[in-house]
Amino acid sequence: MKKLYYSLIFAAATLGFASCSSNDGDDIDLSGTGITITDDSECCSAEEALLVYKFILTVKHVPELSFEVDGKYKVNAYTKTGSFHTGYNDIYFIASKKSTDNYVKNFDVKNLTPIMNMVKMGTYHSTPVSSGVSTVEDLPDAIKHGWVSFVMNSGEKGTWAISYDAEVLSSTGSIKDQTITVNALPEGQEWIKSFKIGEQVYFISLVNPTSWKTGTNNIKAYVSRKNLESLTTPWGVASEEFTVEAVPTMPDMGNHTSPDNTSWTKQSDGSYSGVLNLTMTGLWRIHLTVKDKDGNVVAGGDDLSDGYSSLYLDVTI
Amino acid sequence: MTLSLLLSSILLLPADTAILKTHDIDEVVVVSTGRQGAKRSIKGQVASIDEHLAELDHVNLIRRGSYAWEPVVNNMATERISTTIDGMKIFFACTDKMDPVTSYVESGNLQSISLNSGLNGNPQSTGNIGGSLDLKLRKVGFQPLSFEGEKNSIFHTNVSAGHEFNGHLQVYGADASYSSYGFYSNFGVFFRKAENYKTGGGEELNFSQFQKVNAFANLGVRLAERDILEGTIIFDRATDVGYPALNMDVAKAQGLITSLSFKHNFQESFLTSWETKAYYNHIIHVMDDTKRPDVEIHMDMPGDSWTTGLYSLLTGSNGTHDASLNYDLYYNRSFADMTMYPGGAAPMYMVTWPDVGTLNSGLALSDVISFPHNQSLNVSAKFAFQQQKLNNEEGYNALKVFFPGMKQDYYQTTGRVALSYAWRPEHWKLTFGTGWGSRAPTVTEAYGYYLNNTFDQYDYIGNPRLKNESAVEVNASAKWTKGRFSIGADANAFFFKNYIIGTFESRLSPMTVDAEGVKVYANVKSAKIVNVSLSSQWQALKWLKWSGRASYAIGRDAEDDNLPLISPFSYTSSLDFTHGDFSAQATVQGYAAQTDFGAKYGETRTPAYAILNLSASYNIHASKSLISIRAGVENLLDKSYTTYSDWNGIPQKGRNIYVNVNWGF
Repeated sequence: MKKLYYSLIFAAATLGFASCSSNDGDDIDLSGTGITITDDSECCSAEEALLVYKFILTVKHVPELSFEVDGKYKVNAYTKTGSFHTGYNDIYFIASKKSTDNYVKNFDVKNLTPIMNMVKMGTYHSTPVSSGVSTVEDLPDAIKHGWVSFVMNSGEKGTWAISYDAEVLSSTGSIKDQTITVNALPEGQEWIKSFKIGEQVYFISLVNPTSWKTGTNNIKAYVSRKNLESLTTPWGVASEEFTVEAVPTMPDMGNHTSPDNTSWTKQSDGSYSGVLNLTMTGLWRIHLTVKDKDGNVVAGGDDLSDGYSSLYLDVTI
Repeated sequence: MTLSLLLSSILLLPADTAILKTHDIDEVVVVSTGRQGAKRSIKGQVASIDEHLAELDHVNLIRRGSYAWEPVVNNMATERISTTIDGMKIFFACTDKMDPVTSYVESGNLQSISLNSGLNGNPQSTGNIGGSLDLKLRKVGFQPLSFEGEKNSIFHTNVSAGHEFNGHLQVYGADASYSSYGFYSNFGVFFRKAENYKTGGGEELNFSQFQKVNAFANLGVRLAERDILEGTIIFDRATDVGYPALNMDVAKAQGLITSLSFKHNFQESFLTSWETKAYYNHIIHVMDDTKRPDVEIHMDMPGDSWTTGLYSLLTGSNGTHDASLNYDLYYNRSFADMTMYPGGAAPMYMVTWPDVGTLNSGLALSDVISFPHNQSLNVSAKFAFQQQKLNNEEGYNALKVFFPGMKQDYYQTTGRVALSYAWRPEHWKLTFGTGWGSRAPTVTEAYGYYLNNTFDQYDYIGNPRLKNESAVEVNASAKWTKGRFSIGADANAFFFKNYIIGTFESRLSPMTVDAEGVKVYANVKSAKIVNVSLSSQWQALKWLKWSGRASYAIGRDAEDDNLPLISPFSYTSSLDFTHGDFSAQATVQGYAAQTDFGAKYGETRTPAYAILNLSASYNIHASKSLISIRAGVENLLDKSYTTYSDWNGIPQKGRNIYVNVNWGF
């Protein structure tokens, strides 16, 4: 009996050591991942590799945008669903060495360019895109992130293609005009809208509408400017500083609204953020009034017959 | 002399009615016990619970249809009164108050309904500022040993049937009992069904139908000479219940009520009895708008309420003291949600009661102290502590929009203390009482979410930051009896602090299409409610009795504006003829116009009315069986009228002829 007791203490002590020493990377179990850890300083440590591997499990592979560089590296692209939809889409890029399947510690993705071919009109245009592709806070540097907000879905009117360049260590490669499918959003969802200020055209894209719930939501959005000089050059984030007032209403409930919503203001990373209160699930119409730096209404804010701005986004939660 | 008479008459009563010896208790007997002088409905046992309740002084009923009326005591509704079933806590499951808990029992289940007016509540009641109702179950009880010490057993069967022509109301009931020295059981079923009724003048009131079935069983086992084990189960289900005053009906309102108790009766001790009861009840309530024409948005609005608890009551007496000590503990969960289906678009969902778990425990003490010269003093006090937790995350997050920083757990302590002094000099009975008590906000008041009130057309949001409401009560009564004549007056007044009522919030937008706006429950600084009544009886001849009663009440908020649903001046006057087994009654019942209506709270004026009711009954005694036949007509003159307590002014029944038979053998 006493023997068992001692051995239990011993087991507990060794377990304690094991968990303390896990930072050294020796005990990280990568079996089943296909990743081989070597002394290669260009690649991730076991700990980083596991983080990246776990991250990949939360997203879906996009084969159309994945390719090999120099026969040595694989560049893989991922989105939340493995496909694209109208409005804002996060895209993640991860490069790995073919020899070990371990992730490359650092690499670059450049010139992410979506182009729509308006088949019937014979014209081409781009769409709002992130300012560059970069690392993400709290994730290993091996994961690169960019976004594309599609102004419309693929269909009879036109098709979408994406190009980008990858620089992996000393090698470079690129994907050129790879056709992708942009799905339409279901009814009751409009996550991107345009507005005009003078001759300029802007787009407002909601980043996180799928995470909205009944209650208080921290919303994130981008305002991008259409590149009128060159329609096929990606449309970057607008440099102007706007304030966006948002009034959520439920058109099916006599325009029921919620209190204490805050204006969307520009953050240091270029995105807009504010608080939106949603009192129940269902279709919410987010009526927008865009103001410039001096507080002048520059878009929306007109009162329709129902008393709300005609510039709006729809989110069904 | 009077007191000892009273006491000796009590000793003859079954144990569970012994509570009558305390002050200020009013009681209506549902099932005839052969006791003289007790109140009962003119329609006898087949009368609905609501009709039985209407017999009680201080009680009014809010009607949203012909079923499930909401009892109001001293002009205070559900929030300010306590309703228990044989001491068991039970909570309704409808956010729109369509199911006061009194609707989950049937007449056949009950022996009597007792009412403690004001703060001097029964031991199990909490939050009873206006009063406490206890629905006493009909347990047939054990047979005592005969004088020769033999153990007898008795079978008894009772069947009843009734019909009311207005609305084609049918009532059928049957129950049976077996009772012996060591064992008893009684069980029965009850069925009630009504179609739409006709209002005065003959117009049919749509959506005033209902149907209900009820089954119950009681069981008692004498474990030892003075140890008793008792169990009860009641299943009650109402279906297809119309609510003409509301926008929705009820598809199903179902209650399951169960209890098990152990009781020890002491002998040769100052202790009388010690009873411990454990109970569980579950209520399911499902609203239904599918039968309504022109429904803009179809909605599902189900509600659930589970309560489990126990109480332990110790009673004792030594001649001068008649005391009781009660500990009770209960846990209730109330959940309700709403899904709206706009044509084609995504359904809209919200949690209207965020699965609020309430754990409440309390300790109550009461003592009736007898003094020389026919004086007595009744002291009662209760202290309760409660914990609440919002178990539904979605509902909590939604409410947090309106109350940023609100918590998921809340604690409240409430208490009450009441004193009542009675003196009975010759020909007189005088009482004076006072008390203080507080109540915690109800689930609706604290956590309700966009509950549409069709009375004032506002959506109501609960307020988790509410303080307890408290009130000071003073009451007095005087009764003078000489020979066959008696006259009495009684009055009570409640002075509230932090009175809880909805107040308009202009910055919030209503959810219900066509609602006037949003009200959020708030504590208003003060309010007062005063009730006065006069009553008189005169046994003019051996076969002729006159009785009359008039009541008046006022209710004012802190700004001296009228509170809603306060009764205007009302009166009844009746003549009773009795000759052997035949009795008949003629009653005039009326209300003055509601001129002191609470305009601020959406109430409107209701005109004065008076109606005339006639009834007669005859008992036929055969060997070992009793047949009672009752017949009558309500609203003989077919008046079209509505009272202040008819929700949204729905008209009352027009002329109604009824007949019912009860056969016990």
